[in-house]
Amino acid sequence: MESRLLRVDLTTGECSVEVVPHAMFERWIGGSGINNWIMWEHFLTHDINCDPRGPDNIFVFGVGPLAGTGSGSGIKGRITFKSPCYGIFGDSAAGGKFPYMVRFAGFDYIAITGKAPRPVYLYLCDGEVEIRDAAHLWGKNTAEAHGALRQELGDYPSAAHTLTIGQAGEHQVGIAAVVSDASRIHARGGGGCVLGSKNLKAIAVQGSGGIRVDNPRGLLAWSRDFRQKIDQNEAIYGFKRRGTLGAVEMYQHIGSHFWRNNQGNMFRGEEVRSDNWVKKYHKYSEVCSADCYIACDGRYKIDGTESEKAKKYVGETFRRPEYLTTGSAAGALDLRDWAEVAHWGKVTNDYAIDNQDLSCSISFMMELEQRGLLSARDKGELFGRDQSLEWGNMEDVEALMHNIVHRENRFGDFFNDGPYWGALRYSEFKGENFMKYAIYGKGGASFTEEMRPFPTWMNNMAVASRGADHLKGIGLVEKFQRRDLSMKYFGRPEAADLTTPLLKGACTAVVENQVALLNSYGVCLFHWMLDPGGFTPEEYYGRAFAEITGIDRTPEELMRDGERICNLEKAFNSRLGLRREHDTVCERWMHEPCPEGMYPGKVASDMFETVLDEYYDWRGWDRKTGLQTASRLASLGLQDVAEVLAAEGALAPG
Amino acid sequence: MITINAQYQSRFREITGVEKEFFHLEQGTVAALAAQITGKYGPLMTALLMDEDSKSLNSRGTLYLNSKGQRVYLEDDLNEGETVFFMVGIAGG
Amino acid sequence: MSHTPQIEMVTGAIWYAAGSEIPDVEQKLYALSNQCTDCNICEVACSLVHSPDGMVNPLLARLHVDHSPQVGRKIVHPFAFVADICHHCGNPPPCAEVCPVDAFYYDPATNVAIIAQDKCIQCMECVPGCPFDVVFVAPDGELLKCDLCGGEPACVEACATRPEMSNAGKQYVRAPVLFHTDTAGYREVLQGKPEARDEVGMMQAMLKAGTVSSAA
Repeated sequence: MESRLLRVDLTTGECSVEVVPHAMFERWIGGSGINNWIMWEHFLTHDINCDPRGPDNIFVFGVGPLAGTGSGSGIKGRITFKSPCYGIFGDSAAGGKFPYMVRFAGFDYIAITGKAPRPVYLYLCDGEVEIRDAAHLWGKNTAEAHGALRQELGDYPSAAHTLTIGQAGEHQVGIAAVVSDASRIHARGGGGCVLGSKNLKAIAVQGSGGIRVDNPRGLLAWSRDFRQKIDQNEAIYGFKRRGTLGAVEMYQHIGSHFWRNNQGNMFRGEEVRSDNWVKKYHKYSEVCSADCYIACDGRYKIDGTESEKAKKYVGETFRRPEYLTTGSAAGALDLRDWAEVAHWGKVTNDYAIDNQDLSCSISFMMELEQRGLLSARDKGELFGRDQSLEWGNMEDVEALMHNIVHRENRFGDFFNDGPYWGALRYSEFKGENFMKYAIYGKGGASFTEEMRPFPTWMNNMAVASRGADHLKGIGLVEKFQRRDLSMKYFGRPEAADLTTPLLKGACTAVVENQVALLNSYGVCLFHWMLDPGGFTPEEYYGRAFAEITGIDRTPEELMRDGERICNLEKAFNSRLGLRREHDTVCERWMHEPCPEGMYPGKVASDMFETVLDEYYDWRGWDRKTGLQTASRLASLGLQDVAEVLAAEGALAPG
Repeated sequence: MITINAQYQSRFREITGVEKEFFHLEQGTVAALAAQITGKYGPLMTALLMDEDSKSLNSRGTLYLNSKGQRVYLEDDLNEGETVFFMVGIAGG
Repeated sequence: MSHTPQIEMVTGAIWYAAGSEIPDVEQKLYALSNQCTDCNICEVACSLVHSPDGMVNPLLARLHVDHSPQVGRKIVHPFAFVADICHHCGNPPPCAEVCPVDAFYYDPATNVAIIAQDKCIQCMECVPGCPFDVVFVAPDGELLKCDLCGGEPACVEACATRPEMSNAGKQYVRAPVLFHTDTAGYREVLQGKPEARDEVGMMQAMLKAGTVSSAA
């Protein structure tokens, strides 16, 4: 396995290149696993309690070994950093062409530290690195910056691909995102804020190198089999046409949406309730990430004939909204016109900001207004004007979004780290407790889906290492009641049964290990999720991993590798002082009954603690403190990590 | 003879062309319902609804619920007037 | 004739005598750019089967997804992409006609014109000589032209939007991006069902108008 790590210190302008040793792949697989280790090592010599917006924070970009090799399993690049908005471990993935172009330019991993004295961008081309002035890019949104870099760098030796931040990142908004090729967003955790704090506007790459594969014939055979399995499943065909948007109707049916700050869980707009709009707006062919056999992405174009509100956005064209774009716009904010939902997706992408935290911040304010908790004086203090806060009003939404992106008034400043910190700051400011209207899970991260009837999902929200999120231990077994998968993992059907807490925490633990593996391979989760032919990360993908790297592992060994990666993320958070009491969710989820839908009346507190206990048990962590144990870490070959934790009192006794 | 209401979403609706319809079954089982649906809509529906290998309902990327919100399986019984929802099972984004 | 890796890909390479009638290529290769999903698997597959040592590199591919398509000299849109592939013009093709050293030979299995790397002097005359800009230059200067893989193109097999995905019921006609049958297949899609026609020709029309949808 040939692989190189580029280290850039923006303070001094020094760049150095290291060979990533083969042993690193054997221990950490690649992708997010190696990213995590690079960050872990960095914080052994730097203060882990440093300000995430300061020069001591590290920003790691990495691609896994499967990415861009023609396996057809989709490419995901991964960024890893200490999150500025949640203050804990932070990472986020996105597809597109940027990650594989990084590999063609001769690098697999980029670690950025320090702070540039003025706005710069990083240019990589065929092993060469340059830190270039970015004064002309500063202030531009991601689409403009990407376009400018494309024009500036030309077509030789290849088209340029970019990673850029928008205005949100420039203003060091905590929930700012990083955008790859102007359309694919690393949204969670605030990576854009980290880059903004380092004065790094963009990374641009051009490359003409290649990726060497250990066994090309074996890989071609594997990818042919992979493709045939995908073709055999008719359900994937529907997925190609709609992407995750296909979930809208099913979520509406089971009551899994997030409506008006989760006061409800079903969409109310006639149009947004079905995916029929696909036919209306979706005028072009599917588009895909890169190196992907599914191609679930698409483009929309608004020509103004679709609806009254669409007239405002004539000519707008962008990527079709995914489910969470829709969930945040049509749900949290109650926008009822598809043109507005699509526009919301485009604007959050242009500003480069996480639409989950952003929509929950805005919907928090709208709920206060709805409940009559905001006087004219309160609004004056927050906005410096008499701001209208009406559900489903796009103008109000855009005004509030503008405030946060530019941190231009008290509201924008309070809520730049998302709804939890915003609500906390506002409560302190007013001397009154508004926390029960804030939606958040671990780390203060928010999420726009109904969680209360789904104990595994709720468990995900409480334990995900990067703050409340579904993509770490995604609870498909439970939401789709996949009895077959439950039998496969545990030999028992309970993980697929919504009425019992049994095996829910166990399911999170197992799936977290699998997802950690996939993220480390550098592939897309959707192929695995749709699972046309038993795409198990430890067996099926494991074979492709062996063809590419030459590292042959048994499925059991690979699952242990996945567990090791999860444990390093946990150890990072333990060093930051996170304990059992931090693995929790907001009051609305915990105590307010689920109001409607197919499973009404459920509250998280029914099963929450039982599931959490079971999760810790399966992980081999201490139930009381939530901390890791020396024996479990040792069994994973993480004695060095255990020593660090022990020295800081972050290891469970015994 | 019992009557079952079948409701289709998303890709299922695309194939059937209708949102819902009634089936009259001799035997009140999901297997009988699936046989009628696949018989009516042909190979495309069979490819979507059935899993050739395990001879059961295709569980991958799909969700079939009864009116109580429980997933139905081929061997399950159906009562008179029951509604079965055929949906795609996707999450995330 | 010396053995370059490329020539090894085709069976029993034959030089036609100067002035002899060379039959046209029967199997054509078409790319419907508006159907392209920009997945780049065709490039990867092409480079992998043509690479002697397992190197994946789209710049060594004999077809490209062009990310800066131009109308005249103007880049139409920073996010546009168009699949470019050799059209296998009538024999001898324009690229071979402009070659000063007659470095082209013809695969007897397919009659495809192929560049013999040992004769090629890398003057790059064939690059502007190609009316469709589909003779490519590798980073090391080697000229790259599609050889149809001896009749079974790897790119067609790998294409993510391929004919098999149209499925048994034909509810929604899914046109393949790449196909290498005769013109009938291409024509069928162009004149096909209304759902298919919505998309077909879209990219060409947009390119003509100078606007292309934004997605990368």
